[in-house]
Order: sequence, then C-alpha cells, then structure tokens
Amino acid sequence: MTATRHETQTRDVDVEPGLATVGLSKSFGGVRAVDDATVTFQHGKINALIGPNGSGKTTFFNCVTGMIRPDSGEVTYRGRPITRKSPNRIAAAGIGRSFQLCRIFPRMTVLENMLVGVKPEGLAHRLRGSRHAADIDRARELLRRVGIDHLEHAEARDISYGQQKLLELAGVLMVEPETIMLDEPAGGVNPALIGRIGTLVRELNAEGRTFVIVEHNMEMVMSLSDHVVVFDRGRPIAAGTPDEVQGDPRVLEAYLGV
Amino acid sequence: MPSVSDTRPDRAALAARQTRFDRVVRVVKVAALLVVAVLVLSFPATAANPFILSVGVIIASYAAFAVGWNFVGGFTGYISLGHAAYSGMGGYATALLITRLEWNPWVSLVLGAVLVAVVAVPIGIASLRVRGASFVIVSIAVVLILLLVSQSWAGLTNGSNGLRVPRPFGPEVLRPEQHQRFFYLFVALIAVALLVWWLIDRSRFGMGLKAIREDEDKAQSLGVPTFAYKLVVFVVSAFFTAMAGGLYALWFGNLDPVFQFSILVGSYMVLMSLLGGIRSLFGPVLGAVIVGYALEFFKVNFGDTQFHLVALGLMLALVVLFMPDGIIPAVAAGVKRLGPQAGSIREMSAADLLEDNRRRDREAQERASRTEPATSQAEDDDTTTEREHVGGSAR
Repeated sequence: MTATRHETQTRDVDVEPGLATVGLSKSFGGVRAVDDATVTFQHGKINALIGPNGSGKTTFFNCVTGMIRPDSGEVTYRGRPITRKSPNRIAAAGIGRSFQLCRIFPRMTVLENMLVGVKPEGLAHRLRGSRHAADIDRARELLRRVGIDHLEHAEARDISYGQQKLLELAGVLMVEPETIMLDEPAGGVNPALIGRIGTLVRELNAEGRTFVIVEHNMEMVMSLSDHVVVFDRGRPIAAGTPDEVQGDPRVLEAYLGV
Repeated sequence: MPSVSDTRPDRAALAARQTRFDRVVRVVKVAALLVVAVLVLSFPATAANPFILSVGVIIASYAAFAVGWNFVGGFTGYISLGHAAYSGMGGYATALLITRLEWNPWVSLVLGAVLVAVVAVPIGIASLRVRGASFVIVSIAVVLILLLVSQSWAGLTNGSNGLRVPRPFGPEVLRPEQHQRFFYLFVALIAVALLVWWLIDRSRFGMGLKAIREDEDKAQSLGVPTFAYKLVVFVVSAFFTAMAGGLYALWFGNLDPVFQFSILVGSYMVLMSLLGGIRSLFGPVLGAVIVGYALEFFKVNFGDTQFHLVALGLMLALVVLFMPDGIIPAVAAGVKRLGPQAGSIREMSAADLLEDNRRRDREAQERASRTEPATSQAEDDDTTTEREHVGGSAR
C-alpha cells in the first residue's frame, strides 16, 4: 500500500482503489439526505467522515453498506460495483460496520455474539456445529484484544455500554473485514475507552485494515485520521488531511455558520 | 477494591463448585428425560379408556403442530398466527392423494408434506419480506385465503360437507388399537422434528437464525444471508407442520375447511410454544401438554359454552404478562439461582476492574514510551473506570 497523502479528494490511478461513491443520492420524502455525493476513501488509511448533525453521514453509511437502497448513484469497492447489493453480500465483499447506537445481540452470550460473524464456507460448514474450537479460539483472542475476554459467558445485555461497544467492534473483526466502517465509535463512552478504541483502530490500521469513521469527537478525528471528508447537507464539501480541513473556510461555515 | 491475591482462590473455588453444580443439573436433566420418555411410551398401555387415549392422541398432535411451528417462531422470532395453513394443506394433500390418486396412505402423507413444503417457498418469499406485526397479518391472510378457496372449491375438497379420509389400517383394526398406533406415530414425528430442531440449534445455520431473532439488520451486516436462512427454516417448518396435519387427517378421518384452516389452531400453536418457551427444545411440547390438557378439560366440563376460549385467552394473557420467556426458561433461571453465584454482575465487574487495571498499566507504559503526557490521563482513567464499574452493576 503506497498511497500518499492527497491534497484534495481525487481519484488517482496510482492509489489502490478502495471504497468510493459516485453521485450517490437518497431522499426521504422531500428531504435529500444524501445529495449527489461523490466520495473516494483512501484504501489502507484511516478515513474520517465528519459533518454537522443531519448532514447525511449515517444515511450515506447505510447506502454504502446496503442497509438502505440509494435512489441513484454508484458505490464501488476495489473497482467492483456493490451498489444495491444486500448487506450480507457487502459484508462478504470485505466491508464490516458498526452501528451508531451500538447493536449487539442482547440475549446471546458475549461468545455467541462473536460466533455469529464466523464466515461460512459452503453448505456443510453451515450445518456443522457452531462451536468450533478454532472459531472459539479466534473469538477469545479478539475479545482479549478489546479487553472483555473475562465476560465471554455473560449475556450481552448484562454488560456495560462501553463493553457492548467493544463487543460490537470485536464482533465486526470476527468477519475479518478489509474495510471497517464505524458509526460514532466514541459516542456515549468515557474518555478512557475512547483512548482504548483509538489505540485499537491505529493498531488494526497498521495491520492493513482500512477505516471509515463517522465521528463527532474532533479530538479523536484529528488525532487519528489520515484523510478527512466533510459532509454538509448530504454532500462532501471538503476533503483532505486533518490540518487542511480544519483551516478550510467552507468547513468553518458549515460547522459554525460564520 | 479487590486485589489479585484475594479474588483468585475465590474464583477457582467458585469455578469448581459451578462445575459440580452443572454436573448435578445434567444428571437430573437426563433422569427427567428418561422418566418422561417412559411415561410417554407407556401412556397407551396405562390409559384408563379409549376416550383418555384419544385425548392423548389430540395432545400429541398439538405437540407435533407446536414443534413444527417453533422452527420459524423459535429460531427467527417471526410469529406466524396462520400456521394452520400448512397443517390444513398437509391434511388435504394427504387426503386428496389417497382419495383421488388412490396412493398408499403413508406415501401420500410424506409426499403431501413435500408438496406443502414446495408451496411454502413462494409464500415464504412473499411473507418473509415483512417483519413484526406485518408478518403476523400476512400469515393470517394466507390461512383465510386458503379457508375461502377450500370452502368454495367444493369439487376438489367437498367443501363444508367434509372430505372423508379412509382409515389407513383398514376396518379390522378397532378404534382403541388405532388410537394407540397413531399416538406412537405422533410421538415418532415429534421425536424426528425435535432431533432436527436440535441439530439446527447447535449449527452455524442456527446461530445465524438466532441472530436474526435478536437483531436482523445487525445479523445481515455480519454477513448472515438472512433472507435465505429465514426461507429455509420456514420451509422446514411448513414441512413438519404439514406432516402433523396429514397424520391428523389420517387419524381423524374427516376434513372440514373451517377446522383445517382455522386461526384458532394457529393461535394454539403460538400459545403452546410461548407457554413452554420458544427458545427451548422441549418448550412447545410442554406447552402443548398443558394447553392441550386444559382445552380438553374445559371442553368436557363446559362443552356447551365457549368457556374454553375464555380460558385460552386468559392463559395467553397470563403467560405474556408473567412468563414472557415461557416455563422452561423460567425454571432454568430458577435452577441457576440455586447454584453458586458465579454469574453475578458484581463478580464480573470485580474481574473487569482487575483487567482494566492491568490494561491501564500497560497502556500507560505504551504511552510513556511514545513520550506522551501520561500522568493526567492515567488519573482520568481511574475515575472513569470506576464510573463504568458502577454503571455495570446498576444494569
């Protein structure tokens, strides 16, 4: 991965193609939640997607991951179109995601939560027992990594919100996605945990995973990301390194209304 | 704050006690299962008279219906109130193959159920697109459509005059003997269905289905092909429900659309499964025994009135109010409470705290090595970890 930092949002040929959208639009009634959004994320990097509340970040996320069908436009991943594919196909293509308000399987144990994400290989594999030693070892390894391995037998609804966030992240990792989209990983968690999540993201990125992170915590965004895309009213208005974006007058206008 | 030295031995002792307790529970479970199996298998021999025997067959048929229903309801949480569609179609398919094509009754039974499973594919594709209340309504619509069709298409089904199904064992086998044989046939069907349910339950496929029950979108985002999974289990459910319906048709010997395609029968399946516990293997069977017995009791004692329906409604309300998970999960939770309290939040939080402390140390070291200001952050960690700990206990 030899992608260099880009001055602006471009689609250079020398960059390994990762996740990109062209003219993506989605309306709810009369509201254009995502409006002709053309975005290219840098493969192998930590990308951030920021913008004021209601700027369409989560809808954009949902269109990209197949949870919502976009009205028009294209989504491509590694050069292949993935527009309007079902979420499970997109997951199989290598894109994992978390949800804004942390979604886990509340009445399953922590370990069972992890085992849902085991990639099935063919019919026989699906019909075999779900508690394979290799899978359980991998699940435990990931739980240890996020720091909740001692909770594996607890029901997921009984653990704290911060722990649920970590479980969700570990569960996504179980699918072994190349690209991980996190919707507000720092939302509603304490500063210590934000630090832990940030460290994890950095480590996982160093191992070659691409991140696309929607986040309001500017400190986290600016310290963590290589590339920042700023959304306003459903479309990107600026993109670049954290420093560039911070100084952009359009960004200041969108955020502060000056 | 517990230190390493005073929690460790405690935890080891607790784990040992837990293992011992689990072993006792397992022995009790196996023993209970054996006793129940002996009781069930000896029921026809011990039944006081043919009437009691026939009640036993009815209850067994209810259990077969409920277990069939629970493939969809239990695994995916999709509550179908219209499962009488599949038992009814199973009954008619079996009866029509025997009467029109003069096939062997047992071949007709199995092939009839296969036919119903095939028909369930398009129905499933259409109805599994919607969730929650919408799915319930679609399931009711299906059974009402089938009721109207089977009533109107008298040329095929004989309509409200009823369709007679010839006795599979011939006229020389007398009623009590026939009841006995059908009782065992239903028990065999239930056993096979339970085996399949158990196999799915422990498979990856089953894990995906249970994830759908918990949070369908989330499951899909983790790569579970939710629609295909729902459809497969829906068809399996239709097959077993149709087998039970076909067996019922062979036993009862007369089919009337009003009783075959009845919302009430579908509601029985739901009530029985909910009462016993839809997440557990034997839940629907236990529910069927209780509800089936109660229904027969009320019919015998208050047969001229609709009191059995009132009783049914009351039971459903009580179950939903006080035992939303059903009897078996409620009992299991009670048994768990008898055992050592390893699973309590407090214990976990203490361990959690310990783990957090260790990690905090490690992270602080990492930070220090990266020459970031570590002192203020570490202090911050301490208070927030404590807060998280308290939050965890409050849940």
